[in-house]
Amino acid sequence: MIELLGIEEKTYTLNLGPQHPSTHGVLRVLLEMDGEFITKAEPVIGYGHRGHEHMAENRNYMQFLPNLGRVDYLHALAYNHAYCMAVEKLLGLTVPERAEFIRVMTNELNRITSHLLWFGAYLMDLGAFTPFLYCFDDREQILDLLDRITGSRLTYCYYRFGGVPTDIDDDFVAGCRAFVKRLRGRWRDYDNLVTKNVIFINRARGVGLITRDQCVKYGITGPNLRGSGIPYDIRKSEPYSAYPLFDFEIPTGSRGDIYDRYLVRLAEMEQSLRIIEQACDKLPGGPIMAEKVPKRVKPAAGEVYQAVETARGEFGIYIVSQGDVNPYRIKLRTPSFANMSLFPELAVDTLVADLVAILGSIDVVIPEIDR
Amino acid sequence: METKTGEPLIHLGVLEEALNLARANSLWPMTFGLACCAIEMMAAGAARFDLDRFGAGVFRPSPRQCDLMIVAGTISKKMAPAVVRLYEQMPAPKWVIAMGNCAISGGPFYYPTQYAIVPGADLIIPVDVYVPGCPPRPETLIEGILLLEEKITGRGRLRKFRDVKR
Amino acid sequence: MLKDNLQQALASLNLEVAEGDYAKTGYHLEVAAQPAQMPEVAQAMLGAGCFLESFTAVDLNESFDLVYHFASFEELCRTAVHVPLGKKKGMPTISHIYPGADWYEREVFDLFGIHFFDHPNLKRLLLPEDADFHPLLKDFGASQGND
Repeated sequence: MIELLGIEEKTYTLNLGPQHPSTHGVLRVLLEMDGEFITKAEPVIGYGHRGHEHMAENRNYMQFLPNLGRVDYLHALAYNHAYCMAVEKLLGLTVPERAEFIRVMTNELNRITSHLLWFGAYLMDLGAFTPFLYCFDDREQILDLLDRITGSRLTYCYYRFGGVPTDIDDDFVAGCRAFVKRLRGRWRDYDNLVTKNVIFINRARGVGLITRDQCVKYGITGPNLRGSGIPYDIRKSEPYSAYPLFDFEIPTGSRGDIYDRYLVRLAEMEQSLRIIEQACDKLPGGPIMAEKVPKRVKPAAGEVYQAVETARGEFGIYIVSQGDVNPYRIKLRTPSFANMSLFPELAVDTLVADLVAILGSIDVVIPEIDR
Repeated sequence: METKTGEPLIHLGVLEEALNLARANSLWPMTFGLACCAIEMMAAGAARFDLDRFGAGVFRPSPRQCDLMIVAGTISKKMAPAVVRLYEQMPAPKWVIAMGNCAISGGPFYYPTQYAIVPGADLIIPVDVYVPGCPPRPETLIEGILLLEEKITGRGRLRKFRDVKR
Repeated sequence: MLKDNLQQALASLNLEVAEGDYAKTGYHLEVAAQPAQMPEVAQAMLGAGCFLESFTAVDLNESFDLVYHFASFEELCRTAVHVPLGKKKGMPTISHIYPGADWYEREVFDLFGIHFFDHPNLKRLLLPEDADFHPLLKDFGASQGND
C-alpha cells in the first residue's frame, strides 16, 4: 500500500545535545532514527576538552596536582590518590600508616558522594524528582565532614606526595561514625522509593545488557563490569594503600542490565560504609607525612603506571619522566572514555527513552572523557 | 543599567518598576552546566541551599523558556559556538551569570600556551554578574543571584522601597 | 599462570619479553614490538583473555613511542607493549580485534597526528573537526592554537 502511494521510508537524523538535561554534561549524540527506533548513535565528544595532558607537560609535578581534582570532580580524591601514588613510586617514598588510613577514609567518603549523586541525577533523568533531594541531603552531610579537613566541597586537592598535609581530629571520626549510622537508616527509604518502584523496574529490567565479551573487547571497568557478573575491583585484584587491611566484599550482578548496575552501586555504598567504620575503629597514630620529601620534586627518569578503583571504574595514570621538574608525558586513562565507547553498540535498536536510561546507567562524567 | 536590548523606547513608569520586580523574583535559569560548577549549581537548587525560595528554582532545559543563563564551567573552543547560539535563542530580557573562575577568565585552565579553551564567557556573550570560586559555594551563587536581582530592580532586596547606595 | 602463558604466546611471535619491576613501574611484563607486528600481538593478548587497558603515544622528538597496556580480569598481570614509530610513518589499526581501541586511536591521531591504516572512522575526537594542529607534539607552537 505504501509503495502504491509512492511514499518513501527513510531514516532521519536527530541531534541530542551538547546542551541537554540528560546528557550529564556536554555530550552530543547524533542519532539516526527509523521512526521511534534508533538505528545508529554516534557520540561526538570534545566539548569539554581542556587540555589536561598538555598542561601536565607545561608545569611541574606539584603544580599539576590541582588538575587531577578537576578531571573527574565527583570522585576527585581517587584521582589525587593515583597521581600521588605514582609520583611516590618514582620518588621512592613510603607513606606512613596513619596517612594511608586517612586517605582510604576520605576516598571512601568521596565514593559515596559520587554514587549518591549518580543515584539522584539518574532518577531525575528518568523523571523522578524526589530521590534527587534525598541524595543531595545525604551528600551535604559528607561534604560538611570533608570540608572541615580538606577545605573544599567538590574539587579536592587534599593529598600531597608523601602523605596528607592536615590531620583529622576526633570530631571528624565522631562525625564519620554518626554519618555511617544515619546513612544505614536511609537504605530503607531508598528501597521503598526506588528499588521497589514498579515504574523504575519496568524501565530498568532487561534494558541495556552488557555482555562479558563486550567488557573484554572495550575495556569496561567499574560497576558496569560488575553488573555483568565479573568480580574485578582493583582494590581487591591489585591492592594499594591500606585496602588489604579492611574486610569488604565486591558486589556483583548477574544479568548485566540497568537494574543490576543500580543494585551494584547501592551495595558498593554499603561496603564503603563498612570500610569507613573499620577505619574509624583501627585508626593508628603517628606522622602523616613521609620523611625526607624533597622540596623540589625531580624524579629519576623512568615510567610508571598506577591504577586505582574510582566510582566509575579503573583510573590509570601513566607518567613518563625524563628527570626534569616537569613531567615528560602524563596519560590519564579514564574509565568513562572506555565505558562511553561501548555506547554506540548498546544504543542500536532501542527507543529514545531507553537510550537516556542506558546512558545514565553507564555513569559517565564528560570532562573525564574529554580531559 | 543596560540590558542587551538597550534603552526601551517607551517608558512605562511605575509599571516598569513592577515588571522589573516580577522579573527579578522569578528568574528561570537554564540547565547549562558545562563542568564542575554544574554540581554546585545543582546543590544550590537542592534542598539545603534552596534557590526556589528566591523564585529562581525552575530550571528549564530549553533556552526559549528561560531568561537567565548561568554559565557554569569551562567554555572550550569547540563549545563556544553552541554557547553563543543558545544565548541568541533566549528571548529578551535575558541575563547571564558567569559562575566559577573558568567562566570569568578561564580559571585554572588559562596559561600562556593553552589551545583548548575560551578564557572567559564575556569574550563571546555579555555577562551581567560574575561569581568567583573554583567551584563557588552554593551560597556564593545565591549571592550572585541576589546581586542580579538588585541589578534588575535597581533597589536593594531587604530595603524594599529605598534606593541602593552604590 | 597467566604470566607464563603470555610469555610463551609472545615469545612465539619472536618478540623480546622482559620481566617488569612491578613495585617500581606497575608492569609485570614489558614487550618491544614492531609496528607491523601489532595486530598479531593484539590477537595473542585477546586470546589469553586480556583487555586493552590503555593506549597512548609519547613524542620523543625524533620518533614516537606507542605504548599499549593490557591487563586481565582474572589474574593480575599487566603487560606494557612499546612500539617505536618513526615520524611521518603510519601504524596498523587493532580496532578490528579490540573495538575499544577505535577511540584510543582516534585520540592519538587527534593529539599527535599519527595515521592508522584501515581504521573505520579516523577523524578528530577531542578537538574541533576543522582544527589544523596536533597539540601534544613537542614542537607545537602555542600561537597556533590561540586566537
